This record gives sequence, structure tokens and C-alpha cells, in this order.
Amino acid sequence: MRATPIPDLVRPSLAKGVRLQIDSATGNSVLLYPEGIVELNETAHEILSRCDGRTVGEIVCELAEVYEADPAALTADVSDTLSDLQRRKLIELK
Amino acid sequence: MKAPRPYALLAEITYKCPLHCPYCSNPVAASLCEASHRPRDGGYRNGELATEEWKRIIREAAALGVLQIGFSGGEPLDRRDLVELIREAREAKLYTNLITSGIGLGDDRVRALRDAGLDSIQLSFQSDESILADEIAGARAHEHKLNVAAKIRAAGIPLSLNFVIHRRNIDRLPQMIALTEALGAERVELANVQFYGWAFRNRAALLPSREQVDRARGIATAAKARLAAKIEIFYVLPDYYETRPKPCLHGWGQRYLTVNPIGDVLPCPTALSAIPDLRFENVRARDLNWIWGESESFNRFRGTEWMPEPCRSCPQKEIDFGGCRCQAALLAGRAASTDPVCELSPNRASVDALLRNLNSSGGQTRDWNYRLNPGTRPVIFGAY
Repeated sequence: MRATPIPDLVRPSLAKGVRLQIDSATGNSVLLYPEGIVELNETAHEILSRCDGRTVGEIVCELAEVYEADPAALTADVSDTLSDLQRRKLIELK
Repeated sequence: MKAPRPYALLAEITYKCPLHCPYCSNPVAASLCEASHRPRDGGYRNGELATEEWKRIIREAAALGVLQIGFSGGEPLDRRDLVELIREAREAKLYTNLITSGIGLGDDRVRALRDAGLDSIQLSFQSDESILADEIAGARAHEHKLNVAAKIRAAGIPLSLNFVIHRRNIDRLPQMIALTEALGAERVELANVQFYGWAFRNRAALLPSREQVDRARGIATAAKARLAAKIEIFYVLPDYYETRPKPCLHGWGQRYLTVNPIGDVLPCPTALSAIPDLRFENVRARDLNWIWGESESFNRFRGTEWMPEPCRSCPQKEIDFGGCRCQAALLAGRAASTDPVCELSPNRASVDALLRNLNSSGGQTRDWNYRLNPGTRPVIFGAY
């Protein structure tokens, strides 16, 4: 079941104590937090590297342009990824 | 098998500590803490690694693939070069955790730690209020810790509270969770004591009863649900009461390594005292890359080849990795046996006998031995 879409105007940001970094051993992105590491897939990396004050709507539009994809379809993917990360307390939605 | 890359380094930078918690995982034998490797000169003190040696370890760990470092001990604040080491770790792009009692942390030092780039502090608490907490710590520490928590918040450093749970404080879980909320921490570890080092020696005094354990589990589960949006609650199970072992370290030599104050490199911080027949390498003789990849100590229990039955044919062997090597050594006398906590272990009866004995003794309080600093005499609580 898909989560309720996150409103366009919400600004996601990394939660306190969470760092986004390139893992030099693999070249992939990771999230680092107390006693934990999450390896990110490409979608999550593309979304999280834009969580710097931009709104969900802006992030979706940019990704739609980069990937020449339909924004409506992307909205659901972005919402799912962000909701999952929020549940794991790795990002905050404000 | 080929060595995977490690993810996290535990840097135990000193065994000195102002607290005397009877569940400390540091070695009981002072001889292990002191160093056959004591340098003639150039060391920090008591054979501890020098600042430059720790910096080299940090750089070698980052080159091996390590992404996280925990500064621990003993009490890591006891080393004056802590800020310098944290700065080095941040320059190597490591995520830096400080695991501390908070004793010795004033305003200036908190700010210096933040400015050095410290990512997170795990502050230990012994209970939720000072009478019991100070009795457990063997020192007047609790009130100070409350002040330290406030300083950490004010400096904006992410804060976890670490509680070690045992027979004497397990009934206060709700109050510990309330303290976590009140102090505004993002995270709390409610870790049932694991029996190594001093805790192994003090098992009879520390093991909770089955009734206590059952009640605590319910409280932790309910608190997790209630605080899901606010606080990360990490509940560590009391493994003697489980039927399958913990996936210790996610496998020996798979993700973690520890360097102790005198430079021994350990697959697990408790291995030095628990597995006396394994020879561990020292950073003064070898680089970290060789020790991690090639040494006998890291390869002995790496993968599944070393496993005896019932592990060898067990469908769970890639899930729990046969449990904990140190626990196997301590309880079954042989590190290469199945963790005796496992219900399939031929040695499970010894754990059951221990639990039976404790649970039939009516919950009376027993004395414990306070943890001593290497080279010191017993501390009498209340004498200072």
C-alpha cells in the first residue's frame, strides 16, 4: 500500500545527527547516524541530495526534468522514499 | 575467506574511568589493561597509545573503509587529546560518536567537541535518580550528568542516553524513558546487561529475574509505539533469557573492529579477556590493513567454516552467525562452540541451571564488586 502523498510545499531535511556522504569504498551514497549506516540506492540519493531547503514539489520537478519522467508518477516514488526515511527518523518533514 | 570491508571502529582510548560500574565490559584482570607492550618512551601514559599513534589508526581505518568511529573507554574525556582525535576523525570523513559518562565535560569542552565536528554523544546513565544511580556508579555522578545533558543540548550536539539494565534498575524502565523525554534526547539505548568483563564476574547480582524481564519487554514495546515519532528507542534483549543467540557483531571480523588503549586490535572489545588462547595483534607491530585482513585472530571465526554442529547445518547460521564467540568461551570453555544461549546448544543446560537458581532465590539483593581502575585499590562507596 502506498503512503499518503507528502504535500508539495513540505521541505524535507536530514534529521539531527544524520549525515549524507559518499562512501569512498564503493562510490555510493550513505546516510550515517548514531550506530547506523544506510546505503542509498540511486533514487534515494537523487532525492536526499536535494533535501537542502527545497520543497517536495521542487524536488519532483527537478527529477522529472533530469530523468525526463512524468511528474505525477515521480510524486509517488518521492513520497514513498521520504515517508520511509521519516519513519526511520533519518529525515524531518517541515 | 576474503575479508569484507569494516564499517565501524571502536576506539577505546583509555581504561581510566571516574565511575566504577559493576557491569563494565572492560577486562577484570589489571594485567590485561596494563601492557606487556608498554613502550620505553613515546607512549601517552601507562602504556596507552600516543596521540600520533591514534591518528595513524584513524587514517588507516578510514582507508580500510571504516565510516564510523566510537570514542570510548574507560572514560574517553580523561584524555586531553580527545578533541584533537575527533578533529582527525572528521578530516578522515568518519562519523564520530563519543560514548561517555559525561564526567569532566564542562561548557568549554562541550563547545570544543562541537567545533571539532563531533557528530553525536552517547551519555551513560545508571538509573533515573541519584540515590540508586550513584550507588550503581560507585561515585556521585548522577546530578552532574543531568547538567551535562543540558550543556550538550545547548551546544546542539545530538544526544543519546545509554542505560545498562540489570536486576537493580530494570524495574525503573518507565522512569528512565521519562528522563529521556525530559532531557530532550533523540535516542535512548535500554541495554540489558551482557555478561562480559566485570559484568560476568557480577552475574549473580546483575541478572534480572524472568518476571522482571517479561515486564520490561512489555514496557519497552509500549514506549516504542508511544514515542515512535519522537525518540528512537533501542532495546537490547537479555540474551540469557532468549532461545536463540544474538547475531553478535554481525559476524566475527565482518563489520567491526576495536582498538584498546594499549593498541591491541580486537574483533570484539571483550575478546581480549574472554578468549585467552587467541593471540591478538598490536598496532605497534602491524598496520590495521594487515591485521584486519590477514591476522589469525580476525580470520579464526570469520565466515561459517569454523562452525561446529549444530551451527554448521543450521538454517539460521547466516542470521545469528552462531552467536557470540566470547560467550561461548566464557560459558562453554571453548570459543569455537555454539553460543550456549542457543536452545540447540549442548551447553544450554548450564544457562538454564543458572536462571533456575536465580529465579528460585526469591529476588534478594546480592553484593557486587565495583569495577576498579587498573593499578588502583578498591573504592569504598561514599568515602569521598
